Amino acid sequence: MADQATFEDDAMEYAPQLYSAALRMTRNPADAEDVVQETFLKAYRAYGSYQAGTNRKAWLYRILTNTYINKYRKAQRRPNEVELGELQDIYLYKRLGEQSGASVSAELTALDMFVDQDIVEAIESLPEAFRLPVLYADVEGFSYKEIAEILDVPIGTVMSRLHRGRKALQRKLWNLAVEQGLVESSE
Amino acid sequence: MNGCENAVEYVYQYIDDELTLTRKARVRWHLRRCGHCVDAFQFETQLKARIKMAGKEEPPADFFTSLRLMIEAERGAAEKDC
Repeated sequence: MADQATFEDDAMEYAPQLYSAALRMTRNPADAEDVVQETFLKAYRAYGSYQAGTNRKAWLYRILTNTYINKYRKAQRRPNEVELGELQDIYLYKRLGEQSGASVSAELTALDMFVDQDIVEAIESLPEAFRLPVLYADVEGFSYKEIAEILDVPIGTVMSRLHRGRKALQRKLWNLAVEQGLVESSE
Repeated sequence: MNGCENAVEYVYQYIDDELTLTRKARVRWHLRRCGHCVDAFQFETQLKARIKMAGKEEPPADFFTSLRLMIEAERGAAEKDC
């Protein structure tokens, strides 16, 4: 059992990360603040039944995820599997490699052409069922097992959504580069 | 180079450090022999790092204060009920 009296000391360190994640979920600062506030309130009330010594960070993210899903009801618990289409592996790397005149290993420096805002746009373009695993693995650094617990889905589902989500993110980055005239589309 | 497809299939589990030791050793075996795959793996690793950096955003300055005030108010309300 955890003590409610120590809640702020135990949980406040995760507030900035939770805010980042909420912002990528809601795509809106005011909504992100709302979601984190509600998450903290629920976590505080439930803290007496939280088992001290278990994964506190994952516990908070699970509350955050459920709060977001309940509040916005946009969650696709069962994403349409054809939604993202079939994409080849290491999609962006391969597309960049097809660029004419690309020198050896030019793909490695090609990432520099993207600014953070491009990457945020690509993350936020993902359907929710794919965006959350990508956020949790790449931004938050959770293990597959932790993501499975947070999202309450099997590990295999985490892996396939993460894989598909990353490919879709790369396609979006490629499309952004084409739109901005940074690369030539061969299609 | 043989084995590229095999290695690429595990690229995400490799960069996420989620492979079994045996599988990881097999991927490494291939990477020592294939510069193309080394580049591709580096590319995915760099992209992951860029996503991590870009995904983070600082909350507004008064955010922590309002969170603390909210918890204090909740604690006060609960004590009054007792």
